[in-house]
Amino acid sequence: MFIALYLKEWKEKAFLFFFELAVLVLLVLGQSFFREKKDVREWLAYAVLLVFFPFAALILGTGGFETEFRSGAWAYLFSRPVHKTSIWLAKFVAHLSMLAALWLVFAAAWLAVPGISELAGGTQVLVGFPIGPGFPSWAFWQSAFLLMISFSLSLLHERQFSVLFIGVFAGVGVAAVVWAVLNSRVGGHLAWIAPEKALPVFLVGQMLLALAFAAASILTLVRSDFSQPRSQLLGFVGWAAPLLVLALVGTAVWARSSPTHGRSHLWEIAFTGGEACYKTDRGIFKYSPAEDRIQWLMKAGPFSYSVVSAAGGKVAYTAYEVRTRHDITEKLWVENSDGTGRTCIIGGARGKNHWPDDTFIIDLLISPDGTKVAILSDSAYGGHRCQSPPLWIARTDGTRLENLPDDAALFGIPHGIYFIRFVAWARDGNALLLSRRESNKPKIFTLWLYDLESKNSRILFENAAPASWFPSSPQGNLMALKYQATPERPWTLGLFDLKTVELRKNEASIDHDCLWAFWGSQGDRLAYVARRPQPNGQDVYILAVYSLAAQRVVAEKRMTTSEAEAMLFAPSWTADGMKLVVIDREANSLKILGVDLQEEGQAPFPAWMNKPAGLQVVGHQALVEDGKNNTLWRFDLEKKDWKRIY
Amino acid sequence: MSELLSIHHLSKSFGRRPVLKDFDLTTENGRVYGLLGLNGEGKTTLARILMGVIPSDGGEIRFKGRRIGFGDSGYKRAFGYVPEDPFFYEDMTVRSLLNFNARFYPLWDAKKASSDLERFAIDPKARIRTLSRGMKLKLGLAVALAAAPEFLILDDPTSGLDVPTRQDFLRDVIRELAASGTTVLFATHLVHELERIVERLLVLHGGRLILDEDFETVKARYQASLEDIFVSLVAKAQGGRP
Repeated sequence: MFIALYLKEWKEKAFLFFFELAVLVLLVLGQSFFREKKDVREWLAYAVLLVFFPFAALILGTGGFETEFRSGAWAYLFSRPVHKTSIWLAKFVAHLSMLAALWLVFAAAWLAVPGISELAGGTQVLVGFPIGPGFPSWAFWQSAFLLMISFSLSLLHERQFSVLFIGVFAGVGVAAVVWAVLNSRVGGHLAWIAPEKALPVFLVGQMLLALAFAAASILTLVRSDFSQPRSQLLGFVGWAAPLLVLALVGTAVWARSSPTHGRSHLWEIAFTGGEACYKTDRGIFKYSPAEDRIQWLMKAGPFSYSVVSAAGGKVAYTAYEVRTRHDITEKLWVENSDGTGRTCIIGGARGKNHWPDDTFIIDLLISPDGTKVAILSDSAYGGHRCQSPPLWIARTDGTRLENLPDDAALFGIPHGIYFIRFVAWARDGNALLLSRRESNKPKIFTLWLYDLESKNSRILFENAAPASWFPSSPQGNLMALKYQATPERPWTLGLFDLKTVELRKNEASIDHDCLWAFWGSQGDRLAYVARRPQPNGQDVYILAVYSLAAQRVVAEKRMTTSEAEAMLFAPSWTADGMKLVVIDREANSLKILGVDLQEEGQAPFPAWMNKPAGLQVVGHQALVEDGKNNTLWRFDLEKKDWKRIY
Repeated sequence: MSELLSIHHLSKSFGRRPVLKDFDLTTENGRVYGLLGLNGEGKTTLARILMGVIPSDGGEIRFKGRRIGFGDSGYKRAFGYVPEDPFFYEDMTVRSLLNFNARFYPLWDAKKASSDLERFAIDPKARIRTLSRGMKLKLGLAVALAAAPEFLILDDPTSGLDVPTRQDFLRDVIRELAASGTTVLFATHLVHELERIVERLLVLHGGRLILDEDFETVKARYQASLEDIFVSLVAKAQGGRP
C-alpha cells in the first residue's frame, strides 16, 4: 500500500520533477559554459544553493495534497483501506526522495565539474556566524526544512500559491526572524546560548519546528473533517499551537543542556576586592564563594568579544550594545568589585570621552592601585592601523581618557602583522609592560616597556614572555617570567622585579623548560609545570614549588609524560596558600596536594564532566570548567561536593 | 443470518445544522437494504462516515462485533463504496486506477475487474478525465466489485446511468451480489429504483430512521406502491396526514 501511494505520487509529480531537474541541469551546465568567467560561475553556484533548492523544495512541498484537492479525490483516497498516517508518510517520502534526487544530481555535478566544490564548498557566513559543515550542507538542510513545512501546510488549502506564500513565511520567515533577533538588542542578551551553540541551536530549533508542523499536519489528517475546511484549519491550529510551543521549549532545553565544544577561558582570572573575575565564552562574571553563585558583569552575544581586567578593588570590562547588525557600540565600563560605582569610560554619552569610530578594544589593564586603566585598541595589530595610536590611558573614575603617542619601535611594523597585549604595570604605575609576537616569527616573544613619562618604549627582553596569563604576584611587585637564551633553547623561569624592571639576580634561573607558573595567594610561593627530558628520549612533566623565602625549589612531583595533559594541570593555590589543587585527567579527578606536593586527597570528576580544563580555587571552592561541554562546576573543598553552576 | 454492521446513536452536524441524530441501524449478512431519504437528509454523510472519510460527532459503529473508529482502516478491505460523485485521480488511466486499487485489497479479483470493464464498455487505456459521469460511475462500480466486498455501499449510483446500464445494474449486479452473500446498502432518493431489489426498507428523515422493516411486510401493511409509502411516511413524520 505504501509503495502504491509512493509510486502514485512519483507519477503525478513526474512533470514537475523533470521540470525542476531541467532547470538544475541548465544551472550546472552554465558552469562549463561560463568557464572563463568566475564571477558568473559563482553566481550560478549560489543561485543553485540559495535560490533553486529552497524554491524547488517549496514548490514540491506545496503540491503535496494538490491532486486530492484539485480533483476532489481526497474522499476517494480516504475511503481506501489504508491508514491516513501511511498516506501522509508515503506522500512525504515521495516528495523528499524527489528533492533528494535533485541533490544527487547536484552532488554528481559537484564531483564531475571541476570548480563547483571550490566555489560553493568553503566556509561561509550566512546568518552571522560561520557555517561549519559547509555551504551545500546548509542549503540541503534548509531545503529539507522548507519541504517539510510546505508539505505539512499543503493539506490545508487547495490553492498552491497560498500554501507557497505561507510556506515561505513559515520557513524563510523563521530564519529571517531569528536573524533579526540575533542582530537586535535582545540578541545581545542571549548569553545563556554560548556563541558556539548559536548555529546548532538554530538548526535544532528548525528541526523541532518542522517536526511540530509535520505532527500537526498528520494529526489534522487523521482526526479532522476534510469536508469542512474551517474546522480542518481550526483543527490544524489547535494541534500546531501547543506543538510549536513545545518545539520552542525543547530548543531552549536543548540549548541549556546539550554539550558544546567551547573554548575554555577560565584561566583568564583576576582577583580584586576578595572576589574573582572570570571571562568565558558566555561573558564576564564574578564568583562569590560565600554565596556560591556567579554574578554576570557582561553577557556575551553572538558578536561580542570582551576583555576584562581587575585590580585595586576595581573591575574594568568591555561590553557591546547591539542595536542592529550595523549599529554596534563597544563600551568600556569600570566598577568597584562590590558592584557599585559603575562608570562608562568609552561608548557612553557623546562628547564625554572621544573614542574613534570603528576602533575596538583588544586589551585592558587596571593599575595595581585601581586608579588607572590602560587600553589597547585594535590599531595595535599590524595591518589594521588607523590614524589614532593604539595605546590609551584613562582614570577609572571615567575622566582623562588620553591617547598616548605612537611609538614606531613598538607599534610600527609597516608590512607585518603582530599580536600584542598588556603584561603588567611597572615602576609604580609609571610604565607598562607589553608582550609582542610577530606572525612571521610566531615563536619569538619580545617584552617591551612603555615609559608613561617619556612616552617612549624599549625592548626589555628579546625572547621573553609572561609565565602565565596573570604573571604578577599578589603584591604586584614581582612577575613570573619565562625567557630563552635563543629561540631554540628551553624556557627558563625567572622572577622579574616590576619596580626596577630587571630580573632578580638571586633567582635568575629557577628552572629550565618551564611551561606555566602560578603564584600562591600569599605571594610567597610559585608553583610551576616544567618539562624534564629523560635519557630514553621521553619527556616527563613535573609540578614543582619554588619558595621565595627559601629561594629554592622546595618540592617536585612527577605528573605525566603527556604534554597535552601537562598543559591542563592548571594548578591553583588555596586561599591560605597551604594547598595546591590540580586537574589530573589521567586519574579523572581533582587532586589536592600539600605544599610538599604530597597528595592529601582527591575528588573524582562528576560523570557529566567530559573534559575538565580551566581550574581556579576561590576561597574554599574550586571552579572547574568543562572545555567540551562549556559548563562550569564548583567543588567545595570542605564539603567535598560538586555542583554545576551553568 | 448474523449481524454484520451495527450503528448506535450516531450523530453528525455540519456547523449548527444537525444531519444525523441518534441514528441506529443493524444490518445482516447477504441482504439488500434500501435507504430512502429526501435530498440533504444525510444519506451521503452516513456513507462517508461508514467509509472513514469524515468523522462522526458521536455514536458507535461496529463491524462484525468490532468497534471501528475514524482512524481505523483495516475494516475497509471488506467494504465497497460507490459514491454519488465519482471523484477519481483524473490524470490516471483506467488500468492505472485498477492497479492502484489492487494493492489495497487482498481479495482483489483482476479477472472480475477486466470482465466488468468489458461489460460496461470502458476502455482500460482511457484517461479518467475523458470519461463521462456515467462511465465514471461504472468504473467506480467495477473497482468496488473487484474488491469482493462483504458490505457494499451504493450512494445514489444510478442517477447518472443510462437506462440499459441501470436496468442491468439493478436486475443483475445487485442480485448477483446478494446471491454471493454481500450485504448491500443502497441509498437513493429515487424511490422506484428500489422496488425491484430491496429486501429491507430504511427511511431516513430528520436525522434518524423512521422506518426499518422488511419490504414485504411494509408492502402488505400499506397495500400501496413504494413511492406512496415513502411519501406517506415522510408526511407523517413532518406532522402531515398519512
